[in-house]
Amino acid sequence: MLIKRAERQARRGSLAAAIGSQTAGGVDRRAFLRKSGLVAGGLATIGALPLGSVRKAEAAGSYVAGATIRKNICTHCSVGCTVIGEVSNGVWVGQEPGWESPINRGSHCAKGASTRELVHGDRRLRYPMKLVNGEWTRISWDVAINEIGDKMMEIRNKSGADSVYHLGSAKFTNEGAYLYRKFAAFWGTNSVDHQARICHSTTVAGVANTWGYGAQTNSYTDIRNSKTILFIGSNAAEAHPVSLQHILEGKESNRANMIVVDPRLTRTAAHATEYVRIRSGTDIPVVWGMLHHIFKNGWEDKQFIEQRVYGMDDIRKEVAKWTPEEVERVTGVPGAQLERVAKMFATEKPATLIWCMGATQHTVGTANVRAFCIALLATGNVGGPGMGANIFRGHTNVQGATDLGVDIANLPLYYGLVEGAWRHWSRVWEVDYQYFVDRFDKSTGPDGKVTNTMNTPGIPSTRWFDATLLDQKDVKQKDNIKAMFIMGHGGNTVTRVPQARKGVEKLELLVVCDPHPTTWASMSPERKNGTYLLPIATSYETNGSRTASNRALQWGEQIVKPIFESKDDLEVMYLLAKKLGFAEPMFKNIKVENNVPVPEDILREINRGGWSTGYCGQSPERLKSHMANQRDFDMLTQKATTGANKGDYYGLPWPCWGKPEFKHPGTPLLYNTNLSVKEGGGTFRARFGLEREETLPDGSKRKVSLLGNGYYSKDSEIKDGYPEFTLGVLKKLGWDKDLTPEELAVIAKVNPATPDAVSWAIDLSGGIQRVAIEHGCVPYGNGKARANAFGLPDAIPVHREPIYTPRPELVAKYPTLPNAVQFRVPNIGFDVQKAAVDKGIAKQFPLILSSGRLVEYEGGGEETRSNKWLAELQQDMFIEINPGDAAERGIKDGGWVWVTGAENNSKAKMKALVTERVGKGVTWCPFHFGGWFEGVDQRANYPKGTDPIVLGESVNALTTYGFDPVTGMHEPKATLCQVRAA
Amino acid sequence: MTGLLTRVRFVAGALALAFIVAMAAPVSAQQPASVNPTASAVQEQQLLKELNKIQGRGTIPDVKSYVLEHPAGQEWQHFHTVTLKWIGAVAIIGTLGLLVIFYLVRGSVRIERGRSGIKIVRFTGFERFVHWMTAVCFVVMALSGLNITFGRALLLPLLAPETFTAISELAKYFHNYLSFPFTLGVVLILFMWIAGNIPNSVDVEWVKRGGGIVGHDHPPAYRFNAGQKAIFWIQVLGGTAMVMSGYVLIFPFYGTGVAGMELAEMVHGIVAMLYIATMLGHIYIGSLGMEGAFEAMGEGTVDLNWAKEHHSLWLEEEAVRGSGEVPREAMTRPAE
Amino acid sequence: MARMKFLCDADRCIECNACVTACKNEHEVPWGINRRRVVTINDGKPGERSVSMACMHCTDAPCAAVCPVDAFYTTADAVVLHSKDICIGCGYCFYACPFGAPQYPKVGNFGSRGKMDKCTFCAGGPEADNSKEEYEKYGANRLAEGKLPLCAEMCSTKSLLAGDGDIIAQIYKARVIRRGYGSGAWGWQTAYSETIAT
Repeated sequence: MLIKRAERQARRGSLAAAIGSQTAGGVDRRAFLRKSGLVAGGLATIGALPLGSVRKAEAAGSYVAGATIRKNICTHCSVGCTVIGEVSNGVWVGQEPGWESPINRGSHCAKGASTRELVHGDRRLRYPMKLVNGEWTRISWDVAINEIGDKMMEIRNKSGADSVYHLGSAKFTNEGAYLYRKFAAFWGTNSVDHQARICHSTTVAGVANTWGYGAQTNSYTDIRNSKTILFIGSNAAEAHPVSLQHILEGKESNRANMIVVDPRLTRTAAHATEYVRIRSGTDIPVVWGMLHHIFKNGWEDKQFIEQRVYGMDDIRKEVAKWTPEEVERVTGVPGAQLERVAKMFATEKPATLIWCMGATQHTVGTANVRAFCIALLATGNVGGPGMGANIFRGHTNVQGATDLGVDIANLPLYYGLVEGAWRHWSRVWEVDYQYFVDRFDKSTGPDGKVTNTMNTPGIPSTRWFDATLLDQKDVKQKDNIKAMFIMGHGGNTVTRVPQARKGVEKLELLVVCDPHPTTWASMSPERKNGTYLLPIATSYETNGSRTASNRALQWGEQIVKPIFESKDDLEVMYLLAKKLGFAEPMFKNIKVENNVPVPEDILREINRGGWSTGYCGQSPERLKSHMANQRDFDMLTQKATTGANKGDYYGLPWPCWGKPEFKHPGTPLLYNTNLSVKEGGGTFRARFGLEREETLPDGSKRKVSLLGNGYYSKDSEIKDGYPEFTLGVLKKLGWDKDLTPEELAVIAKVNPATPDAVSWAIDLSGGIQRVAIEHGCVPYGNGKARANAFGLPDAIPVHREPIYTPRPELVAKYPTLPNAVQFRVPNIGFDVQKAAVDKGIAKQFPLILSSGRLVEYEGGGEETRSNKWLAELQQDMFIEINPGDAAERGIKDGGWVWVTGAENNSKAKMKALVTERVGKGVTWCPFHFGGWFEGVDQRANYPKGTDPIVLGESVNALTTYGFDPVTGMHEPKATLCQVRAA
Repeated sequence: MTGLLTRVRFVAGALALAFIVAMAAPVSAQQPASVNPTASAVQEQQLLKELNKIQGRGTIPDVKSYVLEHPAGQEWQHFHTVTLKWIGAVAIIGTLGLLVIFYLVRGSVRIERGRSGIKIVRFTGFERFVHWMTAVCFVVMALSGLNITFGRALLLPLLAPETFTAISELAKYFHNYLSFPFTLGVVLILFMWIAGNIPNSVDVEWVKRGGGIVGHDHPPAYRFNAGQKAIFWIQVLGGTAMVMSGYVLIFPFYGTGVAGMELAEMVHGIVAMLYIATMLGHIYIGSLGMEGAFEAMGEGTVDLNWAKEHHSLWLEEEAVRGSGEVPREAMTRPAE
Repeated sequence: MARMKFLCDADRCIECNACVTACKNEHEVPWGINRRRVVTINDGKPGERSVSMACMHCTDAPCAAVCPVDAFYTTADAVVLHSKDICIGCGYCFYACPFGAPQYPKVGNFGSRGKMDKCTFCAGGPEADNSKEEYEKYGANRLAEGKLPLCAEMCSTKSLLAGDGDIIAQIYKARVIRRGYGSGAWGWQTAYSETIAT
C-alpha cells in the first residue's frame, strides 16, 4: 500500500489530535487531558508529593474494550501484591497495575509482572497422564482418580496409612490448605507437609516459642517507620522485591540505617548503609557479638526486659563468652564494625530485624531465630510501629498454609496433635472423635505400649526419602513410605537430590498434582511405572483467600477458568475423598457444586474453628469487601479511613478476634500494647505456663512468674500480667455474667463435664474472647516473652558449626547436637560432622557452598522456568565464585565448570559467574534449577511439550546432610564444595 | 576525525583503567571495618567522564546489551549526517565538475593517427568478465550506497515513502549480496593484473609528462600506465577496505562491538566516497574521455594505433614475445 | 503538551526486572527482543548500582537523524516512534543510539535481521490508535488510553519513572534532597542534553 508522504505526516500528527479525532473510541479528549493529572498523580504516589485526589484520576484509565477486571494475588512470594487481570471472552488479555492495593500500589517484580503467561499454558500439563513402561500415556480423570485411589488403599491395607505421604503446597489458597490438612486427618496420617518446612519452619518454631505466635510481627509497609533496619540472611531485593519499595522509601524519608548482614554482597546489600560480611552459618556468634557490646555499654532496654522478658540473665551469661576477638575468629566480622551495628540497633530506634532463609535453613535454624528474637527483646524493639521481627516468607500463602496446619505437628491453626486438639476439630467438623482414632495407625513401642500415631508428629518433607530408603526398623512407624501424593511442591527443593532420586525409584506410587510435571516427573529415568501427573489449575484459576506474610488475608477471584483439563485443588481433593470413601463426613458442612467444594463455605468452617489464631473474624464477605474497596485503606497504617470497612486493617491480619459480627479490625502489629485489643492491640502471649521453678546456684529453688510484670495493653482492666482466659477465669473476675445465654450453652456443650476448663481457643461461641476483649484483655493472656525457651534443645541458643564446616578446628568447641531420633527417623548429624572432620573433607572441598533465590524464578522453578518472559532472563544454571578463587582454578566468567559436593560423589555442571558478590572461599548457587543431573540433560524425561524452557543442574544435587532438631529443617545454606573448570 | 581520536583515547583509557583495577583488587580475606554501599555508589557523570561509556553486567545472553550508555554514538551520528555528506558531495560533485571542465577544455582524446583498422588483443575474455562483474557490482553498490547517505535528502522528497522504502530495501539487498561477487572481483583483479601494475621508472617519466593528458604528448607506457596503475591500486586497496569494513557492518557483533561498527562505517563511508570519485575518473577516461579506450574492455581488442600512442612499450613486449596478434610492421615504426 | 521522559533512579533500582517482563507482557514482545533491560554497574562491589534502560526518546534523536529512510517521527508528546513499514532494517540506528535501544527480530546479517523494534513509550506506532495492526507491529498503545508505560507503572520500588519530564525531574530532585544522595539522572545528559541539578 503506497501512501502520499503528506498523508503520513498527517497521521503522524500529535497524539492529542489523534485521540481528539476518535472520540467514538475508548477515550475522549477530556479523558486524555486527565492524563497529565494521571502523570502527576501516579508519580506523586511515588515521590514525596502529597497524594491528593490521585486515585480517582488513576481509576479513570480506560481498559481494553469489553474486558472485565478480576483481582487476584501474585503467587510468587508473600508480599501479597494485587494482580489485576483484564479478561475478554474468557481469555486473560492484559495485566494492569493494582494501584489501589495498599500493599503493592501497582508494583510488581519480574514474576508478578509476568503472571499472565502462566495461564497461556505453553508448557502446562494438559491432561492426566500416567507412566506406563517408561512412556507417558494420556488417561482420563476418572481413570486417574480410580487407579490412584485403589493403589492408595492397597498400600494402606498392606503398610498402613502413614505409608502414603501427603506433600502439600504454599500455593494452596487458605481453603485448599485447610482442606488438605483435613484430608490427611481423614486419611489418617500426620505426614502432611509443605514448603514451610524448608523455608521458615524454624522461624515459626523459634518465634512462637519466644512470644507466642510464629509469624511476622509487623508488616512490609510498617518498615517505613523504622529508624534502623537490620537484615540477616535476607536478600529481599531478589526474594521480595516489592517490599523494597517500602524499605527504601523508609530508608530515605527517615534517613534510616539499613544494615545487611550476609555472606554475599547481594542486591539488597548494594542499597545498605552498612554491609557486614559473615561466614555462612555463624549468625548466632554475630548476634551474640552484638549483644556483647549492647550489654557491655548498657544499651539494652532494661525496663522492657524487666516487665516483658523471661530469662535474659541466662542470655547474658552465654553472650559474655562472645568477646569481639572470639566473634571475629569465628565469623570474620571485625569488632569495631559489630559495635557500630549494635549501637545503631539498640539506640537508633525503632529498629526492626528482617530475616529469611539465610538464617532459617541451618541445623541451628531455630536457635538462629531465637537469637534474633532475643536481640529484639533485649533492645525493646518488639510491639510497636517500626519494630519487630519482620519475617519475609516465600510464597503467596505459605503463611496461610502454615497457619492452616499443612504441617506434621499441628492441626489447623496450631492446635497441636494432642487429644484436646483432635476433639476441638472433631467438634468443628461435627465428626465423632473416635472416627479419627480409628483412622490412624497404631504402633507398639519396645515397652509394649500402644501409641496412636495421630498424636505423634509425622515425617518432615526433608526426610521423606530417608523414610523410603532406610531399613524399616529405623523408621518409627508401621512401614516405610511407599507412596508420595504431591500437590504443588517441587522435587528439587530439598537437599540431597541423589538420595531423593533413589527414593523416587523405590516408591510404589508417585502422584504429582501440579500445573507442571515438575522435577518429580523428570528426576529419574529409572522409574518406569506408577507415576501419575494430574493437571492442576494455578492460583489464578481459583477463588479463595491467601494470607500474606503480614498475616493479612486477601480474597483472590478466579481470573479465568482452569485451562485444558486442569482442575483446582479443591475439586481433586473432593474427588479423591469420594473415591476413598470419606467425602461425606469430610464435606458435611461444605457445599459441593459440580464436584467443586465452595471455598466460601470452607472459610466459614475455618472461622468456626480458628479461635486460637484469630482466624475467626475473617468471613468471606468481609474479605471480599476489603478487596473491592482497597482504595479506602491507608498504605502506611493499613487502616480503612472511610467506606464500608472503616476502621478495619487491610486483610484483617490475624488475630482477628471473635465472630465476624464482632467486627474486630485485625491486628496489624502483634503485641502492640499502645492499642486497645479491640483495636488491634495485644501483649506477649501467656503460652508457657504461669510460673517456672528455677534452681539457683546454691541449689535452692524459686518460682518465677511468666506473666507480664506491671505491663498491659491500652484499656486493659487488668493492670498486670494475666493468664489465658477460660470460663473459670471469667468467673473469678466476675465477667462471666457478660456472656449471653447462647454463648454459655455452646460452652457447656464443648465440655459438659467441666465447662470452667473451656478456654478462649476452643469456645466455639466466641463468647470468652468477646468478653475478655470487651474488658480490654487479650484472650490468650498477658505473658512474658522467653529469652530462655525452656523445652527446646538449645533453650539458650549456642553456636554450633555446620555439619560440613570449612573450619573443622572449631568443631571441638562448637559441635552439632548429638544424634537422636527426630520425627520418626534418625538424625545422625553428629556422626556425619565427626566423620567429615576426621576425613579432612574441608581440605578436599575447600569452598563454602550456599544457595538462594533469583528474582526471576521461584522455588524449584519449574513454573517460572516454563514462563518464557522469565526464562529468557536467566538461561543458565550458574555458580558465583570469587575472582581470586576463579583465577586459582583457571575459571573464566561465563565458562563451564564442574562443581563437586561433599556427599554422594555428587557432581554438577554449570556456568561460572565470577564476581565479588561472594568473598574468597565462598560460592553460591541459585536453587531454582532442575532437569539436569551430573551434566546430563533430562529433558527427554518430561512428557512431550511440558518441559520447562530452561533446565539446569539442581544445587541440591550438591547440598548435604544436616537437620534442625526442632523442625527437621535441612541445611542448604552452609555446606562445602570444590569447583574446577570443565 | 576527532571522533576517531576520542575513541582511540577512550579505548586506551579503558584498558589502562581495567589494568589498574585488576592490579588494585587484592585477593584479601581481611574484611574492612566499614562498608557503606550507599555512600560509595557509582555516579553516572563520573563514569562518563572517565570512560565515555558505561558498561555493566546483565543476565540475558545478549552481551552487547550490557553496555548501558555509549554517548560516542552521537559523534558517529555527526559524522554520518554531516561530515560524510560533505566528503561525499565534495568528492563526487567535485570530480564530476572537474571532468566536465576537462571535457569542455580538452575534449575527447582522439587517436591522433586515426584508426589503423588493425585490432590487437588487449584483454582476454576472462579478464573482461572479471572487470565487468566487478564493475557492475561496483556501480550497483555505489548507487545503493549513495542512496543510504543521500537518498533521504534527494530521493525521498520525490517519492512516496513506501516507494522509497521498497527501493531502498531492494537496494540494501543488492548492496549486501553483491558484496560477495565484488569481493571475488577484487581478489581476481589483484592476482590477474598485479604483474603489470608494479610501479617502475617508466611511470616516473609518465607522471612527469602528465600522462600526456594535456596537449598531445604520448609518454611511453607498458601494458598499464601510471594512471591505470593508480586505478588498480585504488581498486585493490580501496576495494579491500570497502569489503572489510562492509563485512563488519553486514555481520554485526561478530568480533566487534558498536564502537567497532561505527569505526567500520566511517571507514566504509569515507573510502566509498573517494573510491566513487576515482572511479568516475576511470569511467570517464575509459569511455567519453578517450577514443578507442572503451573497446579494450568492451571487445577486448584495441586499435593498433591506439596501442602505439598509449602503450608503446607494451606493444613492443607483445611483439617480442611473438604474439601472432601483433603485426610485424608494427615494430618497425618507432615509438613516439 | 507534556514532554515524555524516562528516569531511572538507580538508588532505588534493585534489578528486579519487573520493567522487563511488564514490557514483554504488555506488548507480547518475542523471545530475543529486549525493548528494556537492566544493567548492573560495579556488580558485587560496594557502590553497585543497577539501571533500567530502554529507548530514552531523546531530544534530537540520533536514530532519527541517521535513518536513511526517515522511518522515525516524534510525537507531540516528544515520544520517538518509528514506522516498521518504512524501516529497511539497516542497523544504522543501532550504531547511533547511545543506549542500545534498537532491537532486531533475527540474528545474522543485516540483510536479514528484519524490521527494527524498540520501546514505544507504550505509544504504539503510526497506525490508528489501538488498532489490531498497531498492536501487532508495535504493541499496546497505553498513552492513547490515558495510561503511562507499564514498565514504570509496575516498577517494584518506583525507581523507574515515566511521564512529563518536568514532573519526574521534580520528583527525583525532591527525593535526592530528602535522602541526601543520588547517583544521577542516568542517561539524561546524553538523551536530553540536560541533567537534574540537585
